[in-house]
Parts: sequence; C-alpha cells; structure tokens
Amino acid sequence: MSVALEAGGLGKRYRRTWALRDCNLTVPRGRIAALVGPNGAGKTTLLHLAVALLAPTTGTVRVLGEPAGAPGLVAQVGFVAQDNPLYRDFTAGEHLTMGRKLNRRFDLALARERLERVAVPLDRRVGTLSGGQRAQVALTLALARRPELLLLDEPLASLDPLARREFLQALMGAVAEQGVTVVLSSHLLADLERVCDYLIVLSAGRVQVLGTVDELLDRHKLLIGPHRDPQPPIAGVVQVVRASHTDRQATLLARTDGPIHDPAWRAHEVTLEDVVLAYLADPSAGTLPGPSVHHDSLEVQA
Amino acid sequence: MTWLVWRQHRKQALFALLGLAALAAFMVPTGLQMHDAFRRAGLDDCLPAAARVESVRVSPDPEQPPDAVHACQELADQFTGRYGSLGVAGVLLWFLPLLAGMFWGAPLVAREVEHGTHRLVWTQGVSRRRWALVKLGLVGGGVVLAAACYALLVTWWRAPLDQATGQRFLSPGASFDLEGLVPVGYTLFALALGVFAGVLTRRTLPAMAVTLVGFLAARLAVELLARPRFLAPLRRTFPVLGDMTSNKLTSDWVVRAGVYGADGARLRGGVFGNFSYANCPEPPTSVAAAPTTASPCMAAFGPGAYNLELFHPAGRYWLFQGIETALFVALAVVLLLAAVHWVRRRIA
Repeated sequence: MSVALEAGGLGKRYRRTWALRDCNLTVPRGRIAALVGPNGAGKTTLLHLAVALLAPTTGTVRVLGEPAGAPGLVAQVGFVAQDNPLYRDFTAGEHLTMGRKLNRRFDLALARERLERVAVPLDRRVGTLSGGQRAQVALTLALARRPELLLLDEPLASLDPLARREFLQALMGAVAEQGVTVVLSSHLLADLERVCDYLIVLSAGRVQVLGTVDELLDRHKLLIGPHRDPQPPIAGVVQVVRASHTDRQATLLARTDGPIHDPAWRAHEVTLEDVVLAYLADPSAGTLPGPSVHHDSLEVQA
Repeated sequence: MTWLVWRQHRKQALFALLGLAALAAFMVPTGLQMHDAFRRAGLDDCLPAAARVESVRVSPDPEQPPDAVHACQELADQFTGRYGSLGVAGVLLWFLPLLAGMFWGAPLVAREVEHGTHRLVWTQGVSRRRWALVKLGLVGGGVVLAAACYALLVTWWRAPLDQATGQRFLSPGASFDLEGLVPVGYTLFALALGVFAGVLTRRTLPAMAVTLVGFLAARLAVELLARPRFLAPLRRTFPVLGDMTSNKLTSDWVVRAGVYGADGARLRGGVFGNFSYANCPEPPTSVAAAPTTASPCMAAFGPGAYNLELFHPAGRYWLFQGIETALFVALAVVLLLAAVHWVRRRIA
C-alpha cells in the first residue's frame, strides 16, 4: 500500500460556490508534499475533507487506503489546522495530557523531549507563548501520536522567517526520525522548495499541477530566444506555459519532453516558484498530465 | 475525555459551587430563623387543619371569639408581614437557570468554533459523537446536580412562607417556579437551549442572546398559556348574599375568580390580576324591612348572584410540577439531540 492520500472526483460545495471541484490527485507515501495555491483555492477544504472534518459533496477521498473518516484512521493521521488552534488557557503540558487522554497511541516521552529541545516551557499557558512556540506545541501534539500521515494547514503563515526555518527544521527532523508522509499547505513557495519533494497546485478549486518536484524542475525550462509573431513550434517543447517578450527577445516558460537542441534558444533551469507562478498566472494553462507523473513516481516508490 | 471536560469546565464548576455556597450562607440562617418563628407562632399546628377548610366567613363576628381558621389566618398574616419581604428577594432566583444557559450552554460549542479548537479536538482519537455526548453528559449532569441542590434549598427555605400565604401553587407567582422539580427542568432546558444556539450560530455572543430570548419566551408561554390548562380546573361557588367566601389558606391555585349573575353572565372579575369577589350582608330578619325590596348591594348584582372560583386544588401541586418538569426536560432532550446531530454533520 503505497498511496498516502488519494482523491477521485472530489468536490465540495458550500451553498452555491464550489470550494473544490472534480479534484483528482494522489500523494504517494514517503513524500513531503506541498499543497499550494492562492487564497480560496481549496487547500483548507481539501485537508478538512481528508481528516473528515468535512464530508465531500461529490467523489471520494481515501487516506492510507481507507475512506476518510474511517474509525481506524484517526490514530494514523496527525492534523494541525490553520493558525495552530490550541486551548489558550491550557499549558503546553496540559495539551500533552489531553493528547494522552484522547488518543490510544501517544508518545508522551517523545513529546516532552521535543518541546524541551525547542525550548517551549511546559508550565506556561500557551496563550502567553510566541507564535513560533505555539506552532511547535501544535506540531508536537500531532507528531506524538506517531502518525503515518501528517497534514498541516498553513503551518508557516503566522511565523516570522526565523521561526519558519526552525519549524521546518523540526519538521524535517521528525520526518527523518519517524518516516512520516507530510502534506503541508502554504503559499510561501521559497520555503517549500527546500523541504518538499512533491507538489500539488490548486487553483480555483481544481488541481492544476501535480508531480514530484524533481520531475517538474526537470521538465520545465526557461527559454530565451528571438521573438516572432506567431511563435513557431520548438522541438522538444510540449507546451508554453507562459510567454513574455520585448521587441526582439522572447522569454518562455515551457514544458519540455526532451533536451532543446534548437540553437536559437537558450535553455535555463527554473525554480519551483517560477513553475508555480507561471501556472497560477494562467489557470487555463492546463493541468500537467498528472497520471503519468504520479504513475512514474509510484514505480519509483515500488 | 473526562479529564478534558473537567479541565475546561472546572472554573464554571467552582463558580457554581461558590454561588450555591453564597445562597446557602444567606438562606440557612434566615431559613432557620423563619422556621423557628413559624413554629413558635404555632403555625405548624394550626395551618394544616386550617388549610383543609374550604370556606370561611368574610369577617368574623367581633362579638364572638374568632374561629380556628381566622385565628390561624391572623397568625399567618403577622408572619407574612414580618418575613414576606425576604420572599421577594427570592424572586431573583427566577433568573438562575438563565445564567446556566447563557454562561455554560452557549459557549460550550460556540467558543470552540470561535477559537478554532474544534478542529484540534475533533481530529484526536475521540469521535465527535463521543466528544459531544461525554461533554454534554458531564456538564448536563453537573448542571442538574447544582439545580437540584438549589431547588432543595429554596424549597426548604420558602416552606414557612408558602404555608402562611397559601400561595405555593399560585402562578404567576414566586413559589411554583422556584421550588420542587421545575428548577431542574428549567436549568436543563436553558443549558440545552444555549448549546443548541451555540451550534447554530457558532458564536458565543449571539448564542447568549438567543438563549436569553428563547428561554424567556418558552418560560412565559408555558407559565401563562400552558400551565393553567394542564388539567381542567375545578369550580366552586359562594352566594353573593351572605358572608361566606373561599379560604385563602388552602394553597389551591385560583385561576379565575369573579361575580356572576343568576343567568351565569359574568358581572365582575376574571383571570389573575383581575380577581373580584362580592358579599352583601343578609337583610336583617326584623319585620320592619319589606322582604320585596332588596338591599342596594344586592340590587347591583340581582338576586341569585354568586361568586365563582375556578381553581386547581392544592393536591395537584406535584402533578403540575411533574408535568411542567417533564415538558422542559423533553424540550431539552430534543435540543441536545439536535445539537449532537449538527455537531456530527454540519460544523467543520
């Protein structure tokens, strides 16, 4: 069983508006997946559907091979909601007690040790802690359940750059120790590029890009060459995602299926941020052929 | 789960305990004093017998020694004059159930949603259903326990006043709403209404407002419209001519009192607040007065006029208490079930 999160035809409607529509995606196990998209793209809705806080209007969502909300799942999935909700008048220690009382599996020693390592006092009300410390408490609470899958909704949003780095370091450490699959939503692309190896781009309730980061970076190139109107096809380019030009020079962000040998064009490496922004800028740019991408990655996993 | 409920609500439990302690600090000494004065006045001897008499003379013959009922009435009036003002203070207790609804019920779910902590607690290893049931069960149990203590205390405290005024059953009145079983029903209902409103509005403040309005509406509707009709009232009549009237010490609940003509048409009086009685002296039996001319008093009502009382006898007190409590408990159960259903289905 190698799929951590799988959605098929998943849709969620609030009254008249669709927050998420016809969403098909797969996140293989062992990945650290970034779920990105502009505000209102459906990231939170997708995560809430996965932890059964919401019920889907259409389609299905399966978590670790079981339908979301299955009784056995709750112990295997750790979730931290947006803004790291905690009981403000509880101390961090009391949160750990709560975790131990409410979960059959809860590694209290691990949780204490983790909070000690990130210097969060156990005996102070979390309302008096800093945003970074609260985020650590919320993450610890989820990790101490020793989940197979960790879903984090905008964990970095309220953190300053230093706290963000510390949080991501702590997360990476936990992933290395516990071998947990992570899906985290964010709009801070630069931070994600360093830690994530899988990408889901949601836009206006639909999946626009899906695949491993390596493949995405590999298959996209920034091409600089002469500007012509109309632009003739270039060998090796499958799709021009985004184009801009001056009078004489054109800059294309292109999806490729092989090396570019055309001497008129110079190919440059792209960053994850370039790719994501290019796709988000043009919602009609089309979806990456997700199935082939994650089919490949499944084979890698197997 | 129990630990969490205790941790979240221990402050409220402490407030309830302090409130009860404050109430007891006021009621135990004054209550002991009242009970003692009641006994020393001999009211506990004369009232039970006096309460069984259905009709009495309007005014005792000043030349005769007063009969037992009037003697007892005299003592009771003295007692009420001395301690009745304490009873008025007790009317504040009318609002206690509302506090439970507004400050315990309304925030129960709404506060979690406002702070987003429902997403924390509902994604732990406890199902939402279990979370809701344990939380409502424990808080509800605590509230019922507190209400029962308060009801017992108030019932004991007011017992002498109730007997001396004969108004235990009267409603709208102070006693019926504060004593016996009904406070428990009201409190549970207020709590359930608060929880339900909190689930519906997802905000504490609007939920409190809904609780306030809903509770007052339900209480007044039942008290003014439903309670008098739980059973058909009984009726009793006294002729206007003569000086017999109903005994106020019976603790019956009179729902309507008025003067009616011989043809059954109502001349005066009506529902509570508009009660009216009339008694005309019997014409002197001396031969001087012509038997054909009625006294001016009787002329106003016509011959054959009578006083009519519709009333619920004192013996129905506990039946009515039971019916009203059951009604509010049933409402509370419906609201709580709806709240649990919505927690499971609607909120995210």
